[in-house]
Amino acid sequence: MTALSFRLLAAAVVSVGSLASGPALADGELNIYSHRQPFLIEPFIKKYEEETGTRVNIVFAEKGLVQRLQAEGEQSPADVILTVDIARLSEYADADLLAPTESEILEADIPEHLRDPQNRWFAFAKRTRVIAVAKDMPEAERPKRYEDLADPVWKGRICTRPGSHVYNRALTASMIAAHGVDGATEWAQGLVDNLARKPQGNDRAQAKAIYEGQCDVAIMNNYYYGKMLTSEDPAQHDWAAAIDIIFPNQGEGDRGAHINVSGGGIAIHSKNKDEARRFLEFLTEPEAQRLYADVNFEYPVNPAVGPSDELKSWGEFREDTLPIARIAELAPDAQKVIDTVGW
Amino acid sequence: MVTEVSQTFPDTSTRAARRRSKDGNRLWTGATALISLLLLAPIFSVFVAASGDGQGNWGHLVDTVLPRYVANTLILMLGVGGVTLIFGISSAWAVTRYDFPGRRFFEWALLLPAAIPAYLIAYTYTDFLEYAGPVQGLLRDIFGWQSARDYWFPEIRSMGGAMLVIGAVLYPYVYMMTRTAFLLTPGSLFEAGLLARRNLLFGIALPLARPAIIAGLALVMMETISDFGTVEYFAVRTLTLGIFNVWLGMNDLTAAAQIACFAFLFILALLAIELHARSRRRYSDTSKKAVPLKRLRARGVSLAGCLIACIAPIAVGFLLPVGVLLSFILRGYSLDVTPQVVDAGVNSLIVSGGTALLVIGVAGFLVFVSTYRGGPMLKRLAALSAVGYAFPGTILAIGVVTAAGALDSGAVAVLRDWLGFDFRGWFSSGVGLVLFACLVRFQAVGYGAISAGIQRLPPNLMNASRVLGHGFGASLRKVVLPLMRGSILAGGLLVFVDVMKELPMTLLLRPFNFETLATYVYQYAKDELLEQAAMPALMIVIAGIGPVMLMNAALRRLTRGS
Repeated sequence: MTALSFRLLAAAVVSVGSLASGPALADGELNIYSHRQPFLIEPFIKKYEEETGTRVNIVFAEKGLVQRLQAEGEQSPADVILTVDIARLSEYADADLLAPTESEILEADIPEHLRDPQNRWFAFAKRTRVIAVAKDMPEAERPKRYEDLADPVWKGRICTRPGSHVYNRALTASMIAAHGVDGATEWAQGLVDNLARKPQGNDRAQAKAIYEGQCDVAIMNNYYYGKMLTSEDPAQHDWAAAIDIIFPNQGEGDRGAHINVSGGGIAIHSKNKDEARRFLEFLTEPEAQRLYADVNFEYPVNPAVGPSDELKSWGEFREDTLPIARIAELAPDAQKVIDTVGW
Repeated sequence: MVTEVSQTFPDTSTRAARRRSKDGNRLWTGATALISLLLLAPIFSVFVAASGDGQGNWGHLVDTVLPRYVANTLILMLGVGGVTLIFGISSAWAVTRYDFPGRRFFEWALLLPAAIPAYLIAYTYTDFLEYAGPVQGLLRDIFGWQSARDYWFPEIRSMGGAMLVIGAVLYPYVYMMTRTAFLLTPGSLFEAGLLARRNLLFGIALPLARPAIIAGLALVMMETISDFGTVEYFAVRTLTLGIFNVWLGMNDLTAAAQIACFAFLFILALLAIELHARSRRRYSDTSKKAVPLKRLRARGVSLAGCLIACIAPIAVGFLLPVGVLLSFILRGYSLDVTPQVVDAGVNSLIVSGGTALLVIGVAGFLVFVSTYRGGPMLKRLAALSAVGYAFPGTILAIGVVTAAGALDSGAVAVLRDWLGFDFRGWFSSGVGLVLFACLVRFQAVGYGAISAGIQRLPPNLMNASRVLGHGFGASLRKVVLPLMRGSILAGGLLVFVDVMKELPMTLLLRPFNFETLATYVYQYAKDELLEQAAMPALMIVIAGIGPVMLMNAALRRLTRGS
């Protein structure tokens, strides 16, 4: 085959191939790999597109985006990664898939314990894991700390989702940080012994179980309370009305309620890093920060922006200021604890 | 007459013909081997991932959760196998052996549950049977119970529930294959059985249908072992759930891939045992046309039996889940069909149709060449390339993206760095990757249907055509393909319906802003907000109904004799 015909053939192959490829990497476009569902980030995207004229493209998946990014290597079209928990975020960082980003805005808007010391990832919103109790439970009986849930007094009265869910894993990691692996194992065993039923469903389903009388106590992320209150499904208003939420570990000298974060970073092979940085900065601005509360009942990370009125009405709380990265580091140990006790 | 012949049929071609075909043979077999290897590349990637340095988690796993994972997986497989065999065989026997009102309707309606994704049936059953659902609500009203503590009700989110709902949507594989086999069993054999006073079902029909039943069961087993959506929702701790806990919980993809490979080898071993067990038998009918047994008119007990055998699977696997979705819509959720949903529908059709065509082409090619031109090695390779089904979708998707990434890097090295094209790779974020992944996974379905079809052809058909002077291609086109049309169509339609439901691979591998109905529904369903996506969920099912009816027509043609 002559060199010319070989080049022609190659050109044909390339052009056929490019038909199958996704959107071009033109300027004014931003490509996001997201662990959060499109319908929950759409309000942010719309706002950003309006403000900047940039077109935003999204792929949402829960699992395996790290491996996809890794496999795509230099060819990856991704600019920004968004996750819904710290463990995934640091998985990207550990795999060297995030580019360190210098930004005065991000540093000013996000407290130190909520961003990577090497500036590879940043938290944009936080949520706390609360204890939900049946509304008719007398004040004096209510659990005050996560630790209380291992007390045999709750035998057969607690509902949770499976322990290996990322939210419970993160909570267990925070217990390891506070009490060591042995202490956390003992706690988790106590909790499992107290379960009213096999762990199942999501957090919302636990509130429903309280409403149905299957249990008196549940663990859930705070935003599910808001989602039930405002649900299109009137039945869920009843579930929300059946519970009170308690911010745990608020006593004098106690460490505060466990939090987790939604966050993000810039893909290491992004060809569009300036735009990507602008997007991250946009997410920490007051307007976007307020959107987190409106859309998903999450707390802003930016100290200049207070929680929404709705969130405030649920009560104020003090958060555990353990560097959030520690939660990710301890996650594998937490999974072992969960396996050991069969949560 | 039915004869048992040895596995390798006598080669009657002449020496000259053999010499002539030698060069052509290399081309055919080379292409087959290449395609098989391409299909195996993602699976190979998973094994590569499994061979990495783990984090020493095996000790912990063996001590804590692994025994339970294995036991649960085996129990689930047994249970689902039982449900699919009972539903599939009894209904197949009813519609082939008996005549009763509605038989022709049931013939295809029994295939309908194939259009329901397993995760969807899990959600709908939970909604129906949980505490707040209509069943328990009614019971509380009747008996005046106040709360969950006043009475016992079976928990749907359990091992038993998983067996039922997974079995209820997978039995159509068994039903389809078994029914075809029953219809193709010559009536003369049944007549002989009648004279010898044998039980026709257990003495004649089932033994002869065994390869077909096993083929259907193999698909069921593979899908069961790789199911994630249902077992996660029902909190049944199987190996697949374990794979994800190890991978995402401990950040140990190596150990996760090892568990996946372990499960995969287990399935492979099962298949090998079965293949070995029947390797000495080959069932084929050399008479011109199979005249099926005349149907009996069902009366009394047999009529009741037939109706139960037909209605129960359809009610459990189709009517109830569709009813729940409809009730969401009637209660006013998910009313508007937005442009997004329409786009998602179009994308679903493109991916499903594209994959179906790809699978037919590739599986057909592999089956024909390996059957008529290949030695035992090539046959094994081709069969092996159809086992992607046994991996959980997400794990296979990682294998696909890794293999494609490696291929792309190579192509970039040549095309961009060497020849200077502005080339960014074919696979990164294109629909092509989704199609390739679906091809790898659903190859098993097409391969199964087409190879089952070819096994029913007289083994000497091809040789006869060759002796008469036709080349391999011409023989294939003029003799084999016309006889295979039904099997090919049925296989393609089954793939279409399967891809319509496919979630994990599409989710991970799709390009930007690309939704299928399944991914669209999932973003709501994952937060237990299925009611908000009831309409698109129903559209998945509806899109499957047409192909199911066509599939039935194809099967009917297939069994009417050639």
